[in-house]
Amino acid sequence: MMRNYWEIYKKFVSTSTTMAMSFRLPFVLLIVMDLCFYFTSLLTIDFIFNHIQHMGPWNRDQLMFFMAFMLLLDNLHMTFVSESFWELSMMLKTGQFDYVVLRPMNTLFSTFFRFFRPSTMLNFPIAVGVLIHYGLKIGLAPSAWALLPVFVILSFILLIQVEFIITTSMFWVIDGLGINFLRMQFQKLARWPNFVYASMPRRVFTLIFPILVIGSAPVSFLIDQSKWYWPLGLVTSIIVLGFVLSFLWTTGIRRYESASS
Amino acid sequence: MNSIPKWLETIRISISKVMAYRLNFLLQIIGPTLVFFFIKYNLWSSIYQGDRTILISGYTLTAMLAYHTWGLVVELLASGFTAMNLSEDIRLGRISTYLIYPFNFWEFHTASFIGFQITQVFIALVTFGAVALSGLIEVPMFTLLVKGFSYTLFISFLWFVMNYGIGLLAFWLEDTWILKVILMVISSFLSGAILPLDLFPAGLVEVLKWTPFPYLSYYPIKIFMGVEPNYLFAIGVMTGWMALITYCNHLVWKKGMKLYTAAGM
Repeated sequence: MMRNYWEIYKKFVSTSTTMAMSFRLPFVLLIVMDLCFYFTSLLTIDFIFNHIQHMGPWNRDQLMFFMAFMLLLDNLHMTFVSESFWELSMMLKTGQFDYVVLRPMNTLFSTFFRFFRPSTMLNFPIAVGVLIHYGLKIGLAPSAWALLPVFVILSFILLIQVEFIITTSMFWVIDGLGINFLRMQFQKLARWPNFVYASMPRRVFTLIFPILVIGSAPVSFLIDQSKWYWPLGLVTSIIVLGFVLSFLWTTGIRRYESASS
Repeated sequence: MNSIPKWLETIRISISKVMAYRLNFLLQIIGPTLVFFFIKYNLWSSIYQGDRTILISGYTLTAMLAYHTWGLVVELLASGFTAMNLSEDIRLGRISTYLIYPFNFWEFHTASFIGFQITQVFIALVTFGAVALSGLIEVPMFTLLVKGFSYTLFISFLWFVMNYGIGLLAFWLEDTWILKVILMVISSFLSGAILPLDLFPAGLVEVLKWTPFPYLSYYPIKIFMGVEPNYLFAIGVMTGWMALITYCNHLVWKKGMKLYTAAGM
């Protein structure tokens, strides 16, 4: 079964690449757009730290490492899933989602992994390079380097779970475009470490809707490995949100009324 | 004079359209601005650790929060319009309609923008009232308030002509949203919407003075805060940029129309 899905995914990648290559200027502009975003995000922290020594418990390099970690997640997100959210809102509005429901495969898979952005993948080495650069600057321990790829994958899973859950609400509204903007706001919240937020929002976005766990959990643990509760929280969040997503998605699919029928 | 009723009707329709999809309007236009403010409020409170005596580049915590609160009002008032339908009109061949009707393309979109702005003025005024009551800002003198609001409305037109220009590139591009995002990312950073320009290196600020960016956020915020920047110089630079971009838009439109094939007609 896994092999079948892998073969299907290869076809998704192949068709997405063919489509992307037929519009060359947007292909290049997407790379530029991501680079602008990386550059301004890092410069923001750099400019702030020209005037302060610490932000919460972290210094400049530690916060830069956090931002580099979030930028790498953003790169993976942009490459593998981001286009699907916009397509879903359109499919639900026009009734094109019928074809997704009819296909003999998992609907979550065919909805969210159908579109792939090859252009943003070209920025992957840059995002990894920045992360390694700041990892070296903060003197990550060898065990932290070994765990880093695992945490990138786990955080990416949690990020897309949170976003899939938000997106499920599109089944309950007429136009899902606004939901996509709401989803992007949650991304913005996660781009700063949890200690930045006041007590109440920090608790809500850590314990109830764990958007702040995405970046703060792995980076806090990689910097200080005595904070074992962070990775535990990350894994627990993934398991719990997995169940929540499964329930909400099934309910949403049942609620779906084809716009074309 | 004959076209005034058409303008008024288009403005009325634009307001109705905005209000028809209230949830979308809330999530697309107001939501991002509020979240952006929420993050900045928490971020700066955390940086200052609640200490109201610390000075960072001349800003106390109170002044920094006031800067970002005025930033919220400026953003609501100036930069909400996305001109999203504009590029779709071109890409899907809908501009053929405007070529036949006695109300042309730029008139329709400018009137739609004015309609949108009317709702934004109302929302910005409500927001201003709320933040003034919360004590986040000191209510400035009436003349200063009028000056700030009129300047911010003026820059909303600059935002409009920039978005209009990007939308016109749909004659050549499949999607123009990428250019809009690039503009948004660069301008929110260089305009002082994320950080006050006082925190930027001095050399960079000197260069930025000749670009439209500082006048989009930093200057109007400073006007509201009662710090009088070089008002006439700012208006002059903005007018220059607006004239240049409007002229470029005119050229792009003329060139684009030569390419236009009215696909689907």
